[in-house]
Amino acid sequence: MAKVGVYVCHCGSNIAGVIDVEAVRAFAETLPGVAVARKDLFMCSDSGQEMIKQDIRDGLVDRVVVAACTPRTHEPIFRAALAAGGLNKYLFEMANIRDQDSWVHAHDPVGATEKAKKVVASAIGKASHLKPLEDKFVDVTDAALVVGGGVGGIFAALELANMGHKTYLVEREPSIGGVMAQLDKTFPTNDCSACILTPVMVDAGNHPNIELLTYSEVDDVEGYIGNFTVKVRQKQTYIDWKKCTGCGACAEKCPAKTPDAFNSGLSNRHAAYIHFPQAVPKKAVIDMGACINCAGRTIGSEPRISKKTGEPIYAPCEKACPAGAIDRSLALDPNGTIRELKVGSIVVATGFKVMEKENFKEFAPDCENVITALQLERLISATGPTGGKLLVPGTVNKPHTMTFVSCVGSRDERFHTHCSRVCCMYMIKQARLLKEKYPDLSINMHFMDVRAAGKGYDEYYTGARAMGINIFRGKVGGVEKLPGGALRVMAYDMEAGTPIEYETDLMILATAIEMADGAKELAQKMGLQFCGNNFYRELHPKLGPVETSVRGLYLAGCCQGPKDIPDTVSQAKGAAAAAAVPLSQGKVKIEPILSEVHPEKCSGCGICVPLCPYDAISLKPYADRPRAVIDMTQCKGCGVCTSACPSAAIVLHGYEEEQIYAQIAALTA
Amino acid sequence: MPAIIIEQEKINEAVKTIMDLGGTGILKCVQCGACSAVCPGVKAGFPLLCRLLIKNILDGRLEEIIEESSSWGCQACNRCTEVCPQNVRPQEVVFAFRRYQAGELAISTSTTTSQMNLYETGHAVYSESSKELRKKVGLPEVPPTSVGDAKAQKEIQTILEQSPMGELGLF
Amino acid sequence: MEKIGLYLGCNIPFKAPDIEQSFRKVFPALGVELTDLPGAGCCPAWGTAPSFDLNTWCAVSGRNITIAEELGVDVMTGCNSCFGILSEAKHFMEKPDRKKAVNAILGQVGREFKGTSDIYHASNILHEVIGVEKIKESLKYQLEGLKIAVQPGCHILWPSDVMKVKEKNSFYPTHLRDLCEALGAEAPEYSRLEACCGMGGMRSTDVEKSLGLFTEKLRSIKEELDPDMIVTTCSSCFLQFDMSQQILKERGVIDYEIPVFYYTQLLALAMGFDPKEVAAISQTRRDGVIAEIQSEKRKINEEEPHGV
Repeated sequence: MAKVGVYVCHCGSNIAGVIDVEAVRAFAETLPGVAVARKDLFMCSDSGQEMIKQDIRDGLVDRVVVAACTPRTHEPIFRAALAAGGLNKYLFEMANIRDQDSWVHAHDPVGATEKAKKVVASAIGKASHLKPLEDKFVDVTDAALVVGGGVGGIFAALELANMGHKTYLVEREPSIGGVMAQLDKTFPTNDCSACILTPVMVDAGNHPNIELLTYSEVDDVEGYIGNFTVKVRQKQTYIDWKKCTGCGACAEKCPAKTPDAFNSGLSNRHAAYIHFPQAVPKKAVIDMGACINCAGRTIGSEPRISKKTGEPIYAPCEKACPAGAIDRSLALDPNGTIRELKVGSIVVATGFKVMEKENFKEFAPDCENVITALQLERLISATGPTGGKLLVPGTVNKPHTMTFVSCVGSRDERFHTHCSRVCCMYMIKQARLLKEKYPDLSINMHFMDVRAAGKGYDEYYTGARAMGINIFRGKVGGVEKLPGGALRVMAYDMEAGTPIEYETDLMILATAIEMADGAKELAQKMGLQFCGNNFYRELHPKLGPVETSVRGLYLAGCCQGPKDIPDTVSQAKGAAAAAAVPLSQGKVKIEPILSEVHPEKCSGCGICVPLCPYDAISLKPYADRPRAVIDMTQCKGCGVCTSACPSAAIVLHGYEEEQIYAQIAALTA
Repeated sequence: MPAIIIEQEKINEAVKTIMDLGGTGILKCVQCGACSAVCPGVKAGFPLLCRLLIKNILDGRLEEIIEESSSWGCQACNRCTEVCPQNVRPQEVVFAFRRYQAGELAISTSTTTSQMNLYETGHAVYSESSKELRKKVGLPEVPPTSVGDAKAQKEIQTILEQSPMGELGLF
Repeated sequence: MEKIGLYLGCNIPFKAPDIEQSFRKVFPALGVELTDLPGAGCCPAWGTAPSFDLNTWCAVSGRNITIAEELGVDVMTGCNSCFGILSEAKHFMEKPDRKKAVNAILGQVGREFKGTSDIYHASNILHEVIGVEKIKESLKYQLEGLKIAVQPGCHILWPSDVMKVKEKNSFYPTHLRDLCEALGAEAPEYSRLEACCGMGGMRSTDVEKSLGLFTEKLRSIKEELDPDMIVTTCSSCFLQFDMSQQILKERGVIDYEIPVFYYTQLLALAMGFDPKEVAAISQTRRDGVIAEIQSEKRKINEEEPHGV
């Protein structure tokens, strides 16, 4: 008979504040199979763990139950204690009496104590039937994938590459750079965004260990930590990038126009275009959605022959290209090409997008002089549509008064409840830059409150006040359209306790940061989860900020939650370090909580094969007939096959039938 | 101006009173001021509406402001509700405060006329001279409403008599 | 023919019965049959039951709605306040607890609120059910060259979550402009188009504050549009514009007056109905513009006149 040791944790007052820990311990002691039952203020402390180890060494116990917080964070700690004491670490069971008991039943101490007894009894029941299991190891592919080529993705890729790992950097736009490439300057130092980002982009483009896959998207991800197979779709560029020199001649001659997303729709670009002047790689693409097929040159068609000259008629882009990189006669596949990559770990750095102004009805979104802060960023950038001159959109006029509105779509139940974290600061930056350049400009900034927590941030904000920028606390409630294009702002001055009304020429909306387009689809492909605010969920908000619930998958940047550039870069470097661990180790451990087929019992019916969500089961010949075999590297231990098998031929290690029955018996006793 | 003395019991009492009377969103208020930015009442010069009324209640100052007439300047236009980022529904808080005032009879005497009209004819606004006007435009002197319908009036009176309005002795 | 319950409220039948008459002329001619709601009373007005007790508000509103429910029709109001009050009461009664409490009260007068009738404003029916095309076809006079400042009023705009018919953007409403343009007139935007006129509780609490707000709105209308008339679909706004222009004029604040119509009055005139019935009561002089509307030169020459 097993000798079960039971250890009940106070967890400070987390558990003991509600549950009568001694009553639970005393109860456990009375149960069959329990050799010792002890308690401690913190079982995870050194002394708590030592208690377990000593009992093992003394031969008192050969199965361990810890009644404490949650296996999510603490199971690995106690398993390690078992191993250190000399016991197989899978002879351990945890009873969750904190997250699932004392925390949720804080109002009912008596009931919570009774529940704790049941939960502990059930864990003891299972523990008595546990069997020793052995960890398994598999080799790792020494390569990494970084998804998203913004500043976060670039830094994650550079770190991994510098550590010596082959790194693929996938970006869906033609160039890496992300939103940071669209910014004019950066707070709180007013560094020119292009000046600090461009060299890093070039580094990434030239690094021998980095392979850039731009204009590409992740199509499918299979596998597990150490051995992922990723299908990347390289979208059709319609221009041979091996020949393209990035001279831009095709764009110059292209007559088709479409709103330029890089300029946030404030200007048009051509259908043949280079993403932006400092693009890496500097290559042109043809946006077929905007292309008008000049001279009837649809892709894959033969050119018409001129009656006059007898020569073939080519499209302007083809004629313009000095490198001969455009040949519209080629029947290029509009779906592009699929590239299959083998990698050991993946960093997801897919970034964010800002909400469009159309969402905010009270701010006259149909007015040209109401723009988002990202649009203003383009309007004041030297590479923007006005070459950096501040002009009211659609006019040649310089504004006399301008208005900044904070928390547009952030901290708002109608849109997003989260604070977008960067708006206060970038608005102050924009206001300061404009005030420096145009001292006569009257700038009114409306904040719900100013959030300037960061190194040098508050000084940057108070400096703005000293420069003569008008700061109001209170949200703008609406705006009325005046004849001639100006706007009447309806705001509130919290300090004075009165409403404010004035005319303005240009209104800037600091719209909320939200998940990038396609984030949901990518999450489905990768098994990523979302948190309440619809960003990707990290493994633990404090202790696992770059890890995810999928081993081998790491997060960096705004896809995990809104953050500024310093925080994004820090997290990217952290994610790269975490992603490098399995690559450096060369092997990864696979927990033996997996399903296994007993071939002698298997009838070969094949019911389990399509049920497996991970395609881990196949039928293979065994003795006289085909029988099910489970690939342990694919199996996630979900148990679907085990419960479906009509012959009871599949066992899920760690969750065997007699173990579960013992749990049920204890709970229903 | 004398300092406001903050007392937790008074705050609890004030918040509970307002929530019980229909201002259920009051604790969600983050004092952003969007409501007061667009409130026609605030703009017209009734200070204790929307943001500032909510703040006074959250400071536990219900009794101190009971005679304030601002709340009766509310147009119930609900523009505040439309722009509130926290779904406080400020108009419902303003009306809950009115109900608190009304329950203590802290109302102007002018409002009692319409209560009497409502009780007697089923219409808050009614005048005998309407008969002449109706005839002039070719309509029957009495419209097909409660004003000429004893059963309807009785129904309305029954509802009002047993309501808190009846208990206040308004009719 | 569509059928809808005509909920009169107080202001329209007692202060502006020519608006009531315009409903009774215009809607049937446009294919909407009006059913009276016998015994319906006050909605109840904001300053009455809503200011005292939420359940009493809902019970009085609920009683009015049950009259329509019994007749199997939806409710159409001409007054924005009634529309707001009834819409909100119905919204409150969507919560089962509230509905139960209110029905306990209504049970004592032999009624039960079921929630089967929806609440519409006259402008909802005109814009969404009848539509501008049908209105255009029904005209006997066209209003080309006339400029209108529209006043939709607050309660038809907010809170939009309790309303069946919504403006695309309630802060810059267009339904009433569409309806006016259907008559051939021009109905441009002006900056304070969505702003409150100052009627309602504000006016009875402090008439000077109300007039202050009104003056600001009127100035925006006069200075930005200088229109031939002001057209509203709110009976309260109608009364404010009609009465208060006179006060401002007497005080010398303004030296002009702009004729005011409820929309269906203007529509009735354009359809050829008798102004003595549909637009007969106002303090602001309207004779001139009425004569202009129904002038020979504006007659639409068609073999078969529509509408009447």
